[in-house]
Amino acid sequence: MDSAQLLYDIHNGETFGTLIAIYFYLTGLSAGSFIISTLSYGFGFERFKPLGKIGIVIATLLLVAAPMFLLAHSGQKFRVWHLFVYLNFTSPITWGSFLLILYPLNCIVYGFFMFRGRKRLTRMFGLIGIPLALMVHGYTGFILAFGKARPLWNSSLMPLLFLVSAMVSGIAMMIIVSVIRDRFFTKEHVLNTDILSGLAAMLGWCLVFDLFLTGTEMVVHGISHLGAQESVALLLTGPFAGLFLVLENLLGKVIPMAVMLAPRTRRMVPLLVLASILVMIGIYTMRYNVVVGGEYIPLL
Amino acid sequence: MDLRRCIGCQTCSIACKQEWNVPVGRYRSWVKQVAKGVFPATRKSFLPVLCNNCDKPICVTVCPVQASYQKPNGIVEVDPHKCIGCRYCMASCPYGVRYLHPDLRIVQKCNWCSHRVEEGGRPACVEACPASARIFGDLTDPAGEISRRIAQNGIQQIKPEMGTGPRTFYIGLDEITVEVKAHGHELMHLLE
Repeated sequence: MDSAQLLYDIHNGETFGTLIAIYFYLTGLSAGSFIISTLSYGFGFERFKPLGKIGIVIATLLLVAAPMFLLAHSGQKFRVWHLFVYLNFTSPITWGSFLLILYPLNCIVYGFFMFRGRKRLTRMFGLIGIPLALMVHGYTGFILAFGKARPLWNSSLMPLLFLVSAMVSGIAMMIIVSVIRDRFFTKEHVLNTDILSGLAAMLGWCLVFDLFLTGTEMVVHGISHLGAQESVALLLTGPFAGLFLVLENLLGKVIPMAVMLAPRTRRMVPLLVLASILVMIGIYTMRYNVVVGGEYIPLL
Repeated sequence: MDLRRCIGCQTCSIACKQEWNVPVGRYRSWVKQVAKGVFPATRKSFLPVLCNNCDKPICVTVCPVQASYQKPNGIVEVDPHKCIGCRYCMASCPYGVRYLHPDLRIVQKCNWCSHRVEEGGRPACVEACPASARIFGDLTDPAGEISRRIAQNGIQQIKPEMGTGPRTFYIGLDEITVEVKAHGHELMHLLE
């Protein structure tokens, strides 16, 4: 409205902010690397076996680190036990408090049996862990989707989008981890190109799906109600345009997707590592854009 | 809230601040002000905002520790001893009326001065309003003043489409005044 101008209003402060974006990012990385770990030990894809152990160690460590950011964000840190006593099952955070206990425990048990070489038990806990890994990251999508006042969050695609971007960032991290491991922590210093091209192809297709979901979200929100249109404008032409278009989607998704899917570039390891780093930065930017961008537009 | 009477004097905001010791820079109740039109056809338009104490409050749905709860009389409260300051209620509230207390590190909000209301009194802002633009009463009383006013006037609510059943009712609510927004950083600039 051209002839109306805001003179005075109150903005009662940020709600989630960067700490929660980092938390979402870390759980996503953890879920992604857990699933890579179960490819060999749970589903029997033997070519990914070298990533089984390192995958579960990283998944566990990340999932121990992630709740620290929740703790840092929460106002009353010594009241965390309230989450397990005063339960409210309509709140995704209550689902999360149990998932954040069960999932790392399962990771530890799964890792224990893996290092002990107990194949059957490893496989069992690996398969139990898959739904837990999906839920521990999927629930974070629900947290945002339940924030119904914010059009960018309030989408039923959000849990799925979070799962796909978790896979994307997790696989990208495993490519980097695999290269570092082969280069510096093996006697032969020879890269396992078989794993790398397998991961690259997987990452490429996950990126295709991620881009599809992000595009769907933009198109549908773009023609939806006013609030949704404002949230799309924020990302495409507003203050978040650089982060969203360039860092998240062009550098973080489109270019890496081309690198991962083209048979020639897929074999060029330095390019693969560079693209994976871009993906990891891109997915962090995505978490930031969704969390901070989602609450950027004032409600009244 | 009879906006035909509101003069935008912010007495309600001050009364609320005094009643509750609301910290600096945070508000439970305030009056949004918008300048409309082009000279000479202009008007300053006001939107008093406070907690709607919704019928189906999303803050209560998402609170992970039962700190936000709805009393039998319908008022939505935050239990200061339970709240862990996770701010999920603030993130999900369509009205932005909650804040994190910077020292206590818990979330607070307008509860229609329930300590006064439960003793038969009226909220501090209602008591203070010099233009009698704020009317408070029991919605369940069909013969009460609130029920009469709602029945006999054109009534609006802010964002009824959120499905939370907001229970602050407005007479003469201006959609343009509701919709005009500034982005976070612009707003901060405005306040400076």
